[in-house]
Amino acid sequence: MNERLGKRVGPYLWLLPSIALMAIFVVFPIAIVFKLSFSEVSKSGVVGGFVGFMNFTDAVSLPAFRTVMLNTLVWVIAVVGFSTIIGFIIAMVLNQKFRGRKIARAILVFPWATSLVIQASVWNYIIKYEYGNLNNILLNLGIIKQAINWRATYQIEFMWECGVGIFVTIPFVTFCVLSGLQSIDGSLYEAADIDGASFWDKLFNVTIPLVKPSLTVSTVLNIIYVFNSFPIIYTMTKGAPANKTDTLITYLYMLSFYDRKKGPATALSVIGFLILCICAGAYMLSVMRKEDEQ
Amino acid sequence: MNSSSTVKKNRLALAMLLVVVAAVAILLSLPAFRFNSCVYTKKSPNTFVGDETYQAVSAEVEQVAEELRAGGIEVTVNETVTERTNSKGETTSLVTFTINEEFTKNGWSFLGAGLTSSWVLLGILACLLLSVVCAFLGTLPCMDTSYRFLDSRARMLRSASCLLALAAFLLVPVFFMTNTYTLSRRVALYSGGIVTEGKEALYARLDSFLFGGAAGENIDAALKDLSFSNLYTLWAILPCMLVAILAGIQLRFGTIKHALLRGLLYGFVIVLCLFILYPYYVMLITAFRSNAETTDMYFQHIFPTEWKFENLKHIINQGVPRYLLNSALIAGGATAIALICGIPAAYAMARMKFKGKKMFLGFVIMSQMFSPVVLLIGISQLMGTLGLNDSILGLMLINAAFNQAFAIWLLRGTFVAISPEMEQAARIDGCSVFGSLWHILLPMAAPGIVTTLIFVFINSWNEYTISTVLISTAANRPITVGITQFSSFNMIEWQYLFAASLLATIPVVILFMFIEKHLTAGLTSGGVKG
Amino acid sequence: MKKILALLLALTMVFALCACGQTAAPAESAAPAEESAAPEAPAADEITLDVIICQYGPNTQDWFLGTGMNGTNFVDKFEAENPGIKLNLEVVSWNDVYTVVDTRIASNQAPDILNIDVFANYANEGLLEPVSQYCPEELYNDFFPSFIEQSVIDGTVWAVPDLASARALYYNVDMFEEVGIEVPTTWAELEDVSQAIIDYYDGEVYPWGIDMTTDEGQAAFAYYTWGNGGGFVDADGNWALNSPENVEAIEFALSLYSNGYTNPQPATQTRYDLQDMFAAGKLAMVIAPNSLPTYAADKDSTVNMATAAIPANDGKTSSSVGVMDRVMAFKDESAPDQAARDEAIGKFLTFFYDPENYVGWVSMEGFLPAVNSAVEALVAADPSFEAWLDVLSSCQFYPTAKAEWDAVKQGVITAEQNALAGASVQDELDALQAEIAG
Repeated sequence: MNERLGKRVGPYLWLLPSIALMAIFVVFPIAIVFKLSFSEVSKSGVVGGFVGFMNFTDAVSLPAFRTVMLNTLVWVIAVVGFSTIIGFIIAMVLNQKFRGRKIARAILVFPWATSLVIQASVWNYIIKYEYGNLNNILLNLGIIKQAINWRATYQIEFMWECGVGIFVTIPFVTFCVLSGLQSIDGSLYEAADIDGASFWDKLFNVTIPLVKPSLTVSTVLNIIYVFNSFPIIYTMTKGAPANKTDTLITYLYMLSFYDRKKGPATALSVIGFLILCICAGAYMLSVMRKEDEQ
Repeated sequence: MNSSSTVKKNRLALAMLLVVVAAVAILLSLPAFRFNSCVYTKKSPNTFVGDETYQAVSAEVEQVAEELRAGGIEVTVNETVTERTNSKGETTSLVTFTINEEFTKNGWSFLGAGLTSSWVLLGILACLLLSVVCAFLGTLPCMDTSYRFLDSRARMLRSASCLLALAAFLLVPVFFMTNTYTLSRRVALYSGGIVTEGKEALYARLDSFLFGGAAGENIDAALKDLSFSNLYTLWAILPCMLVAILAGIQLRFGTIKHALLRGLLYGFVIVLCLFILYPYYVMLITAFRSNAETTDMYFQHIFPTEWKFENLKHIINQGVPRYLLNSALIAGGATAIALICGIPAAYAMARMKFKGKKMFLGFVIMSQMFSPVVLLIGISQLMGTLGLNDSILGLMLINAAFNQAFAIWLLRGTFVAISPEMEQAARIDGCSVFGSLWHILLPMAAPGIVTTLIFVFINSWNEYTISTVLISTAANRPITVGITQFSSFNMIEWQYLFAASLLATIPVVILFMFIEKHLTAGLTSGGVKG
Repeated sequence: MKKILALLLALTMVFALCACGQTAAPAESAAPAEESAAPEAPAADEITLDVIICQYGPNTQDWFLGTGMNGTNFVDKFEAENPGIKLNLEVVSWNDVYTVVDTRIASNQAPDILNIDVFANYANEGLLEPVSQYCPEELYNDFFPSFIEQSVIDGTVWAVPDLASARALYYNVDMFEEVGIEVPTTWAELEDVSQAIIDYYDGEVYPWGIDMTTDEGQAAFAYYTWGNGGGFVDADGNWALNSPENVEAIEFALSLYSNGYTNPQPATQTRYDLQDMFAAGKLAMVIAPNSLPTYAADKDSTVNMATAAIPANDGKTSSSVGVMDRVMAFKDESAPDQAARDEAIGKFLTFFYDPENYVGWVSMEGFLPAVNSAVEALVAADPSFEAWLDVLSSCQFYPTAKAEWDAVKQGVITAEQNALAGASVQDELDALQAEIAG
């Protein structure tokens, strides 16, 4: 009797510390955000009574809402997409045997190990028109004759921000793919060689299917992290001019603490959460279905 | 490889080398650079057309032009008037007089000019000629022997030939860079009065190169508006050199495709590494510049003129070591807590069957979907209630909680991948559940655990927004918040910002490099299996 | 492998333990220090004040918490002179200060004393204590009356000024001589001069600096609209953001940009960028605070600079722009002894504005004082201060006492940036006015 009870309760006891930790420090704040999104919040942050969906309607009718949503879409797709493709290529190269491979892999880790605030500050300094290091180097090497304005328009500035996003995301993708590549049995390639398969045949028929699981993991995690990424844009442009380089997260931060529209800001954060839930939920469903099949 | 085809290929390679030498000689004789030199410029201050200022300046310019013509320089005088009507209806103008000379120079004219680029050109030619000599010496006595069977002397000569051709190839862009650097950038800095040291020597050399020494004292003004354009004939040397390298490779390896692919691989990796290291290089050199040099708008120096190590001293006095210690404590504590809570949970998920397992997994993923930035108010309220505001412990718990999802996900994958048989065997031998976990599973899952550890550590180390709000005592700040004190309302002190950033980055990078080999192994066994 | 893992785990454990021990440590070490300072004061009567100070410059933190105050610091000196009061003082960067303060308020942890630029929201939401509650009479009378007026809502003073800075036009004297031009006083002259500079230097030098960034774009709005008889409010003090004068003024500023007279990216180049350019001789004129010469000297600048009035539209008067920050006290219902708390806040202010401390603070970061008692010492130290004090007395300030000021500040920045990207100024300001006043 006692043993059976132990069997039934046991697993939950194992989960308890983790659940407690997350319930207190993650779920509770999330609950507060949900509560806030339905409450009146004063400009300085004093929380008032229940106002229904007013914050949501306010948020959606904000003039910058469309731009910001579009930017977020571009930001997520560009950063996740490019970093996945480039990361994959780099992983293929680093999976070759060559002298200095260890050093190359160690160097690749750098962007991942550096705080985003620091990365963004450095790149912000690098591409300054008047005294940035990029112009300094190119001029002093004699490659260009005149300093170039690397951030002439806000579209270009947004591209730089995406570029920095890609730069810091690549290592994670590369290492995920590398781990996938290393688990591939070498005999598969030998067999393909015997069949006279070309490089592309091997890529599409052996490599990609086998690294697909690791690619999926890295992609889903990246979508969440990139969607929620804050320091790059906040450090480099603060969304200027007029929220045209903002993504959802930086926008709601500016809305909350600069424009002091705290109600719509919390509503926006709930909207962002729902969008992510739908995307990641779809993924979770597909993964679980697969596990069930197994 | 049979010997007749070897002979054929070797002959072809040698012939290619000779053709390259001939082509280079021809290309150097073609016009390569066009100069438009403003031998003399005079701008009038804001003036009215026809008044005395204008007359005086005009006469002065004519006189100078005569002097120059007498000195044997063919010049033309140009006058541009920029007229403006100002708000009071007056027409003011800016009159610019220029005395120009236009001429072209070919590649050979650089030899003996004494400019830096002329030495580079000399180097290119020397490398090319030596390459040819080596190729002939190393090939002629043994035309029909394939590379594998060569004696060491011939091998060395052929390798040397290949490398020399490569060196000549790489020197061509260097030649152009040093040219542009001297002719446009250095001269601009000198004539703008921004840099003065070393000016006379360069001016004398340029005078002898451009005007055959005829400009004399006017060289200063003549270089003020020197414009030059290269006519791309010299760039045509580059493909020639490529042919030389191919010939060298053919002699060196006897087969080109493999060698080229290998070269491409190394090229890619080197470029990639340089690109990744670039921001760190910027951080490093900026950290040791003086305040004025960080915002140098004339881009005078690629490296600090004086390495300011006192910048480091300054930030250390500003409490940066304390911040680093705090960060280490926060990240270390968060990692420990995340693992202590995460390992049992992952174990249960991997080894036990119970209701609500999928719900738990969904819950774990869901908890990742809010960025801490949007949870600030909630977290701050919570910590206020718990009395954990302004405490390092509070930040540890928060960071641990926000990294639980990844920890559980990774660890679960790791545990699932390890066959449960060993543990079962241990259990039969009388080991407790904890015993089998501690003695059997954890050691086997070490790579996955190390990965998790690193991941949580990095994330906690880099966390910024929550710490800003929660920490109110300077002594409790982590480094990410600490460095914000160097970008204040009055100015951004780039040098201190980057010096502190450097200190914040180094420990993590070292840790990461130390553990990198476990990392891929861990992700293999863990994350991949989802 | 196992060893490494065990080692790492052990290390993290040690870290965790250290940290737990460490959080307790300051309390232990602090206790004896208080005893030595105030042996007779029982712990129960001790008052702790949470203070948030904004980071004005590189020396702020050092002055309050490090060794920047002649070897000691503000907190230590205050606690030594005022036994029984403990300061929990925090220096926060301007980038984060709104976030920090608002989040603390939202979670009922408002600071006791706050130094920031805005106050109207806090006052209107009933979070602040009136100044009369805690400010000693003598100190109150010491403030410049024109400054105190800026912090009044409905007849009550809610905050006291802590320092001010005045803005004026700085120009590069040598450059003006070389080109042969005079300092512009009107907008039309400004355009002439700019064109002359562009022509003379072939565009190598930007004639005019504009900062319409999220950092301080509201200042640009003030520079141009006040110079055209417009401004944030009309004569009756009502919002008048889309007045014809304002539209004309902003369109003029934008025309400077589109004619190529300004720095290339007004929407992202902050005041520091402009000051850097000016110090390097790349910018001929810039509107900057009185701390610019110090700033330029730090950058090893050799630029020979002088000040002039900010150019205004023809027939309109130029007005100098003043920026003022404040110190305010928040209510704390939970404090056991309100009177003692008020007294402690008063002591803090008295100590802060004591010329002995205050003069060092103001001059350190190159600001202008807010109290009469500091003037004498400041002028003695630096005669150029006197001229600035004159400017200050004729300054216009932002309408910070109006509740909508935050929204207006952000709104004009957004309007400016939208207009820079091509939107119509009229439409933008109309929309803003409708949102604020309608």
